[in-house]
Amino acid sequence: MPAGERYHDRVAGWLTGFAVLWSLLGMTAGVYIAAELVWPTIDFGQEWLSYGRLRNLHTNAVIFGFGVSALMATAFYSVQRTCHVPLFAPGLAWFVALAWQATLLAGGASLLAGWTGGKEYAELEWPIDIAIAVVWVCFAVVFFGTIARRRIQAIYVSNWFYGALIIVIAMLHIVNSLAIPVTWSKSYSLFAGAQDAIVQWWYGHNAVGFLLTGGFLGMLYYFLPKHADRPIWSYRLSIVAFWAFTYSYIWAGPHHLHYNAVPEWVQSLGMIMSLVLLAPSWATMVNGVMTVAGAWEKLRTDVALKFIVLSLAFYGLATFEGPMMSIKSVNVVSHFTDWTVGHVHSGALGWNALITFGTFYFLVPRLVGAELHSTRLANWHFWLALAGVMLYVLAMWGAGVSQGLLWLSLDEIGELSFSFKDIMASMAPYYALRLVAGVVFLSGAVLMAINLWMTVKGRVIVRVAPPAVAESAA
Amino acid sequence: MTFLSPWRLARLTVRPSEAGEHLAAATPEAHDVILRLVLPLSVVPPALAWIGGATFGWRLGGGEPLYIPAGGLALISLAYFVALVTGFVSTALVASWMAGTYGARREFGAHLAFVALVGMPAILASVAHLAPHAFVNMLLLIPALIWCLYLLYRCLPAALGTTPEQGILMASSVVAYVLVAFVSLLGITVVLWSGGIGPSLGV
Amino acid sequence: MNAVDLHRRLERHSGLLIFGILFVSAIGGLVQVLPSVLDDRLATPGPDVKPYGPVELTGRDIYIRESCGTCHSQQVRPLLAEVRRYGAFSRADEFAFDRPFLWGSKRTGPDLHRIGGRYSDVWHRLHLLDPRAVVPDSIMPAYPWLGERAADAEGDIQAKMRALRLLGHPYTDADIEAAPAALEGLTEVDALVAYLQGLGTSTGGDTR
Repeated sequence: MPAGERYHDRVAGWLTGFAVLWSLLGMTAGVYIAAELVWPTIDFGQEWLSYGRLRNLHTNAVIFGFGVSALMATAFYSVQRTCHVPLFAPGLAWFVALAWQATLLAGGASLLAGWTGGKEYAELEWPIDIAIAVVWVCFAVVFFGTIARRRIQAIYVSNWFYGALIIVIAMLHIVNSLAIPVTWSKSYSLFAGAQDAIVQWWYGHNAVGFLLTGGFLGMLYYFLPKHADRPIWSYRLSIVAFWAFTYSYIWAGPHHLHYNAVPEWVQSLGMIMSLVLLAPSWATMVNGVMTVAGAWEKLRTDVALKFIVLSLAFYGLATFEGPMMSIKSVNVVSHFTDWTVGHVHSGALGWNALITFGTFYFLVPRLVGAELHSTRLANWHFWLALAGVMLYVLAMWGAGVSQGLLWLSLDEIGELSFSFKDIMASMAPYYALRLVAGVVFLSGAVLMAINLWMTVKGRVIVRVAPPAVAESAA
Repeated sequence: MTFLSPWRLARLTVRPSEAGEHLAAATPEAHDVILRLVLPLSVVPPALAWIGGATFGWRLGGGEPLYIPAGGLALISLAYFVALVTGFVSTALVASWMAGTYGARREFGAHLAFVALVGMPAILASVAHLAPHAFVNMLLLIPALIWCLYLLYRCLPAALGTTPEQGILMASSVVAYVLVAFVSLLGITVVLWSGGIGPSLGV
Repeated sequence: MNAVDLHRRLERHSGLLIFGILFVSAIGGLVQVLPSVLDDRLATPGPDVKPYGPVELTGRDIYIRESCGTCHSQQVRPLLAEVRRYGAFSRADEFAFDRPFLWGSKRTGPDLHRIGGRYSDVWHRLHLLDPRAVVPDSIMPAYPWLGERAADAEGDIQAKMRALRLLGHPYTDADIEAAPAALEGLTEVDALVAYLQGLGTSTGGDTR
């Protein structure tokens, strides 16, 4: 092994910084649209501030900006250390990091201009879709190239999840984005109507499955044992959970289409597999909880670990609520309501954001070889994050369940009990509470940004050498 | 035991350190806690909801108040009571089941008493049910729930005999259970109502 | 070789692991999605379902641009209360020319699939330009710019129709020739209103 060999960590550091910036931008857009649902005139008649445009910016910034940048950062950081080898093609890794940001900036601007394909979480039009595919292929090359050169025989479990993220998202993105271009800003989907719906939710649900769930499970499986300074509680459980997860998640898409104009068998299959999915999801949660339980003394000194612990609780909630909402008789009330929005955010804020925040509090000080600037600020952040996500979820449960039941409500003679307008008007207090929740959650994230900035200011990334171990037959 | 009365327990909700000490020193019998705390506390919100619903009617937005017929109201209040008792008991059961993992004491009675303490602020805030308007209820119940969470994290180590760190872990697991239980309640309610048990829905 | 041994082999060989992931994750799509995409019944338009004319198509693309589908669904479910509130439930054969589908996943505002003909053109124009002028409690954004821009400002209606024809929409050459003239003098709000007024008006037969 070359004497001067070092891990390539600067690219992970920069990606972490980008992720933090995207989280602030994306969440600010989220807070703004939440405010627009309370005061609809605060777009001041400007197209680019209009709810429809900003909502697309919000979802894309938080998922593809914040989420993917965080996944790329942690993938690049952890794959090297789990393979005991520096990144394959570090120049390409820099291209991936920077080209991704450029693509998303262009994408974000295009969304504000109204360039959208009209499909959720796949709004970006075809030129950006192609750019995404190119960058993604490069991401795959760097990631799998590093694995191919590994000095440890067995590929560690976090890399199976990151690998699944890369492979499955590529498959989904390519198929769902198939379209005939008309102009630079407009294309028409290859699929139409009911067929388009089935393809879209095969994509949409598994974007959640393999990006927001699978990728972040990769993060969990690497960083949690590091935090806890103990191995994962059960290796066997992680194998079973991984394959069951990868197999069953794909089938769950049609639970977005219950009582819609798609064949009955597709809906029922989607429902059953969504229920099956509960098992591997909770298996992973148990694995995580038992790993931490054996390492509780770490909580005394490790503020980041609190975030991970709480994220596991919300992971449990979201992966229970999802299958529950996939049951047709629950879905009949929940579909089209704010309950779905609440479910999304219990996962996005409670699981994705919290585990990422915890990981960043752990990772950033280590990247620069220093202590976290302020444990007090991080503790404040923890409580603000918990309060924010609880308020959000409670508000949306209130709104969603009442909407769903009231829409379906009939009086003694079989007439509709309530007008849509009246039900809509009664949502106002819930939307106001949700706005408060968003502001609280965002303020916690701002504290984190300040804290991490103060930690890295004036410092450089520490250069770490891979361990001088012989190839092990682990 | 000094705290086995709703009034004393209510006072302890604003004295968390005292509450922790009382619970730590006590070994209440499970049936005592259920009869003297869990059941009386669980009666309060449904009773208030019944009074508010019957007297003032439920309001949605700016529309006319909605008066659910007396039989329906009674059924809802009864179900609410059952849900609360189930919530208290099941949370205590789950907590005592987890106790070994977190080094906590195992006595079911102690867990029941702790859960009753943690739930107390929400019980007190249910006075909001007298004004059956979603907004008023949220205004009172949300801060109350925040106080419940605070009591959970603050008092668990003392009440159940864990280290502070194990306490955080165990409290987070309790939060996870309560969230799952609550969302299950939403799901069950919705399934029952759309299955015809409850106000009529056009499904 | 049992399952755990198989996995141990996969985790020591990155190529096998990649293939394993791809294989396992493709199964669901092959069983669920592929047959649906190949099922003609899901793509056959109902007897009186026509492809969108140039004005409606322009309006539909504005609906997409402004992401109206973020708050409005276009899918009436076969539930009693829903049929009472909105009209006949939505059938697959009504959406054969919908690229992309706009069924939506949220109702902040009401479902729009059967909105065609329910309100007057004047009502729609007033509502789109300022929702609170007709519905005081509305939280819908206002779209004043739609009234100021020409419907064919981009000048791409013929290119759009040609692209759709490639995808199977039965436009004739004459249809495409005549398209720009049809948009002359119209603003974006006119086009959007035309699209809304056409929604859900096909009566259709049973195509099962």
